Amino acid sequence: MSEQTLTINGVSIDHRPGETILEAARRLDIDIPTLCHDDRIEPVAACRICLVEVEGSRLMQPSCHSKTQPDMVITTESQRVSRNRQFSLSLHMADTVSDRTIAEDANPNRLFELADIHGTAGLWPHVDSPRQGRPMDVNRFIHFREDRCIGCALCTRYCDEIEGVTAITLAHRGALTTISTADELSLTDTTCELCGGCIAVCPTGAMTEKAALAYGKPEKELEKIRTTCNFCGVGCQLDLNVDRDANRIVKVTPPPPGTTVNDGNLCVKGRFANDFIHHKDRLTEPLVRDADGVLRPTSWDEALDRVVEGLQGVVTRHGPHSLGFVSSSRCTGEENYLFQKMSRAAFGTHNVHQCAAT
Amino acid sequence: MTDRRREEVLIRIEHAGGLATGVSNDVHAETGVPEADVYGVATFYSLLKHPSEIRVCQGLSCHLAGSGEKIDAMSATDTPFLAAACLGRCDEAPASWDPQGENPLPEVHLTAASDELAINLAGVDSLSYEGLAAAQDNGADWVIGELEESGVTGRGGAGFPAHIKWRGVANQPVTERYVVLNADEGEPGTFKDREVILKRPHLVVEGLAIAAQALGANDIYCYVRGEFGAVRDTLEAAMEDATTAGALDTATTWHFVDGHGAYICGEETALLESLEGRRGMPRMKPPFPVEAGFRGAPTLIQNVETIATIPSILTRGGAWFRDLGRTEPGTKLYCVSGHVQRPGVYEAPMGISMAELIDMAGGVVGTLKAFSPGGASSGFLPASMINVALDFGSLQKVGSMLGSAGVVVLNDTVDMAEAALVQAVFFEDESCGQCAPCRIGTQLVRQAIERFRRGDSDALEHIAEIAPGMEQGSICGLGQAASLPLLSAMKYFPNEFESSVHT
Repeated sequence: MSEQTLTINGVSIDHRPGETILEAARRLDIDIPTLCHDDRIEPVAACRICLVEVEGSRLMQPSCHSKTQPDMVITTESQRVSRNRQFSLSLHMADTVSDRTIAEDANPNRLFELADIHGTAGLWPHVDSPRQGRPMDVNRFIHFREDRCIGCALCTRYCDEIEGVTAITLAHRGALTTISTADELSLTDTTCELCGGCIAVCPTGAMTEKAALAYGKPEKELEKIRTTCNFCGVGCQLDLNVDRDANRIVKVTPPPPGTTVNDGNLCVKGRFANDFIHHKDRLTEPLVRDADGVLRPTSWDEALDRVVEGLQGVVTRHGPHSLGFVSSSRCTGEENYLFQKMSRAAFGTHNVHQCAAT
Repeated sequence: MTDRRREEVLIRIEHAGGLATGVSNDVHAETGVPEADVYGVATFYSLLKHPSEIRVCQGLSCHLAGSGEKIDAMSATDTPFLAAACLGRCDEAPASWDPQGENPLPEVHLTAASDELAINLAGVDSLSYEGLAAAQDNGADWVIGELEESGVTGRGGAGFPAHIKWRGVANQPVTERYVVLNADEGEPGTFKDREVILKRPHLVVEGLAIAAQALGANDIYCYVRGEFGAVRDTLEAAMEDATTAGALDTATTWHFVDGHGAYICGEETALLESLEGRRGMPRMKPPFPVEAGFRGAPTLIQNVETIATIPSILTRGGAWFRDLGRTEPGTKLYCVSGHVQRPGVYEAPMGISMAELIDMAGGVVGTLKAFSPGGASSGFLPASMINVALDFGSLQKVGSMLGSAGVVVLNDTVDMAEAALVQAVFFEDESCGQCAPCRIGTQLVRQAIERFRRGDSDALEHIAEIAPGMEQGSICGLGQAASLPLLSAMKYFPNEFESSVHT
């Protein structure tokens, strides 16, 4: 550990080269609000709500971006800092939807959550920004609501830095600054992989799920149920957002970054491929076909007996290597283990494959 | 190592005739830069987004000269045009500019030639390059020592001592270094760099060659305002003449880069972003360009006027230059426009008073009411302050700034709320949009003035909270200064903001 120290709110802490003020403050459990910051993404210090006082510096410094220096004296709680936070929140609210019910109609809205904690400098006249949306974007999954955008560019930076996709960009400048695709194309006509990461990082719900928006129930009224995605073997954790009253899964969100193996990320399948859950054609019970060729519901016992009977009949007639087993990429490692065990030990063949293996 | 293919993005979009459907994809295919990224860059720059429309200047000087009527007349005849931020032609207000035309500039009023002027716009531009020869003979330490002795400070607006920048680059351990000429002059009321290049291009070329020689830079980048077409050609021709004459070190590579219509690219780190093919959004500092500038390498960025002082500082001595000034070192180019008899570029001792400068420009048209001493960012001062010394320190003391010394004179026919609105519109149009205080604050300020002028007496009540927040919170000088025109107008002309009843 370094011998050098710095001071935050009068408390001394060791200096770690390369660390930002925000990171050092967290080690002391000091909370500094941010709107445009995500630990996974390079800081840009655009929202300016995280400004703190640094002794010897005329202007306050963005804690997300400023590196600590030995002997730095930092103040994160003062009238000046607090005034800037309130200024910042009033400012952003003047540029976005200021009615809380509407602002939280779908996704959570960090502006209001921070206003609950830090207060505002009052409600200022709405600026009626000329920012343009993308009304011609016909993709089925992601909707951009320009009236809620605060230009923090978390979505474009996520798309670029985390996904390496760069389907969206900051476009135009000044008051016209908006989030756009090249030539305002539909996301499905771009490099977009529909991972929905832009929705996850958006602090105001400007990027939102189309289907969930149409469903019409705010995320805060849904219950989150943590589960493991079963589309592949990675084991991404995801939260099913459930409307208990209707017993429906409304949407899927990733757990916060830094808490699970997928670090706040999901792919298109984990995030959006869930409409089969409530699909009318979904199989919800075992079916067997009788001699007349018609499927009828039955018990698991009968259904499994039929499977055993059929497979063993093939072995008897043609030998074990006439069988082949292909497991799904949706199986877990444990399930795949059992599957190959069944193939080799129970049926005596090495003809076993997993569809994600190639 | 940054991606050099990205640096071609802007010029490729320009060569494609500006942004149109499919251009982003073509440039993506040519450079490997993502298509959306290309589109984001293209839409940032006015000359790439709207490559052909005639621009009608709505800067303050042009507004005073009737650009509003000009705009109304063009609207009435359905002539396609764009109301543009300052075009840098304040001396021919109300100005317009055709991206596809010749746009000749009229002869501008200048200070008479004299040997006791550091730049001497009316003097004879020569190929002597004695300053460069002296620099080659005496070495970098001597050059930087003379700069320190001269006390020359950055003439682009910041007033930062030049020798600190030069020494900062010279002391870097990295040998890849760059010299960048900031000729992206755009501050409303300012047209001096334009004239320096047109009248004394060899001073600029020589100054740059001295910098490259002293700092060991192999490449010189000249970033010239896009709307200044012929100005760039003049500079390039001077470089070629000097090369032909054998005055320049042929090991140095010269690059001439056009701006593409974004005021903010005059901010040095935004300029670097633009040179690297990105949206011109200012970088966070530190690191400063002397340490990590163009392509992440040590970079000296200097304004045209600053660079043009270097040859005479070396040939006549730092002490000579220092003694030219009255309150601060050197002479200074003051651009005078608005309600004066002879708008022009006047070189005078640093610290000349406003009263003297007005005399140089032939006096006020009408009765002096207010003046803006250093471009839009300097706000307004009242006629009663006519004896203020026009230098960096004195103006800062009165809450204004010398900036680029784009002096705009207002007579008593001017409505100060209207003047503040013109400046507010400028800042809103030219904000890069990166940080919230500037992007949203400039909109709030402009809308508040508009509402006030429409009769809402309470429209300005939040300004007392909004303005300091913008000043404290904005990343760069644009947002920090953007509310100053309104604040200073309210401070010095309070009776014009008491009631919104406009007669």
